[in-house]
Amino acid sequence: MSRDLREFVVFGFNSTHDALDAEAVLTDMGVEVVPVPAPAALSARCGIALRVPSDEADRARRYFARIEINPTSEAEIADI
Amino acid sequence: MADAGGSPTAIYLDHGATSWPKPPEVVDAVTRSLTEFGGNPGRGAYRLALDTARAIHSARADIAHYFGVEDSRNLIFQPGCTQAMNLVLMGLFKPGDRIVAGGTEHNAVARPLNLLASRGVEVILVEPDEDGVVDPDEVEAAVEAAPTAAIVCQHASNLAGGIHPVADLSDIAHSHGALMIVDGAQAGGHLRVNLAELGVDVWACAGHKGLLGPQGIGVLYLAPGCEPAELVSGGTGSGQSEEPLQPKGRPDRYEAGTPNTPGILGLGAAVNWLGTHGDELRAEEARLTRMMHEGLLEIEGFRVLGPESEVPRVPIVSAVHDSVEVDRIAFALDRRYGIATRGGLHCAPWAHRASGTLETGALRFGIGYGNTVADIERTLEAVAQIVAEER
Repeated sequence: MSRDLREFVVFGFNSTHDALDAEAVLTDMGVEVVPVPAPAALSARCGIALRVPSDEADRARRYFARIEINPTSEAEIADI
Repeated sequence: MADAGGSPTAIYLDHGATSWPKPPEVVDAVTRSLTEFGGNPGRGAYRLALDTARAIHSARADIAHYFGVEDSRNLIFQPGCTQAMNLVLMGLFKPGDRIVAGGTEHNAVARPLNLLASRGVEVILVEPDEDGVVDPDEVEAAVEAAPTAAIVCQHASNLAGGIHPVADLSDIAHSHGALMIVDGAQAGGHLRVNLAELGVDVWACAGHKGLLGPQGIGVLYLAPGCEPAELVSGGTGSGQSEEPLQPKGRPDRYEAGTPNTPGILGLGAAVNWLGTHGDELRAEEARLTRMMHEGLLEIEGFRVLGPESEVPRVPIVSAVHDSVEVDRIAFALDRRYGIATRGGLHCAPWAHRASGTLETGALRFGIGYGNTVADIERTLEAVAQIVAEER
């Protein structure tokens, strides 16, 4: 069975608190956000990261700036 | 379990030690924490862990809002007020520093201050006035006497119930380049506390007293820029686990180890309850406190410590009798009437020394959630009967 891969950007954060603040604002603004285990591609390899579709990453970054939360790292991944 | 005998507790008047019972919403929240939010928050991205992390995140936001804290990252969970004050005092000061402290501090502060003094920190105590609260002018004079790192003062007395002028002390501290550090253990819930308005740098509170939450949880507010060293290092579940030292970001820096999810969710439910019912509860506490105070004065031989009955205070009334020892009254109240009160020194030898009761102790009535006029009337009748028999 084949699976269609999509392009995503994954953001890592300093803390679970920051990640959940970021998740909340993205959800409120209608961004398709999914918490995921922080992947090895991020330097943050513990806790949760936020995955958003690549074409929504810029919008996500603007919302992060608006609530003054800076992701510590980000990476592009392909996922289902 | 051995039967201690006596009467089951029918009237609970030890809210200064811990509140009991709890609002049903608190019990429900603790139960849900064990049934629905049993994951390890921040330690995984699977559904149960995420739901638990979100529940804690939400409770933190609710508690921060209740205390007027704009950025909830500055509202840190601690096992209690004692640990929070130890964190701050041990994490901020070094030999050669100078601290001006109130002379009625609870041992949660007094003992860490004594330890710091033994290590070369200069600790200056300002004795309270006849109401058991510190005079801002005397505090300012002590601060002006030499460069001072901090003023440390409880928000309200756990012995006499007096409310210290914390906002004034905060202004004094900041005008002299010092920090304002407050032990709010007896204030939370019993007073309206807006930390933004108070302007303090540190404020800590037990979650299980006036805040009506479970035991084992407390809160610590740290103003931005106030950065004590962490007391405990360890796993935070987030950030960069390969880093050898504790991360500096809040709240993780001060919350190493698995959080107390039942305590946090219970406390979140408790402050939400207080947000709705707190004004009503505080009015009732004030009424019952005054009734207890004035009722004790009508019984021959009693002296009530602290402010006069009409002065605002937290709902604590402590008294001594001129001929009957307080421990005998407390014991008889418990055994014969099922009334829970607390005699002794209340972990507050400094306050007792200032009140002249270090040798005798005092009988403390802590009033709070669930108490009624009938409770106070019954207690006063019982006290009168006991002292009449014992004199």
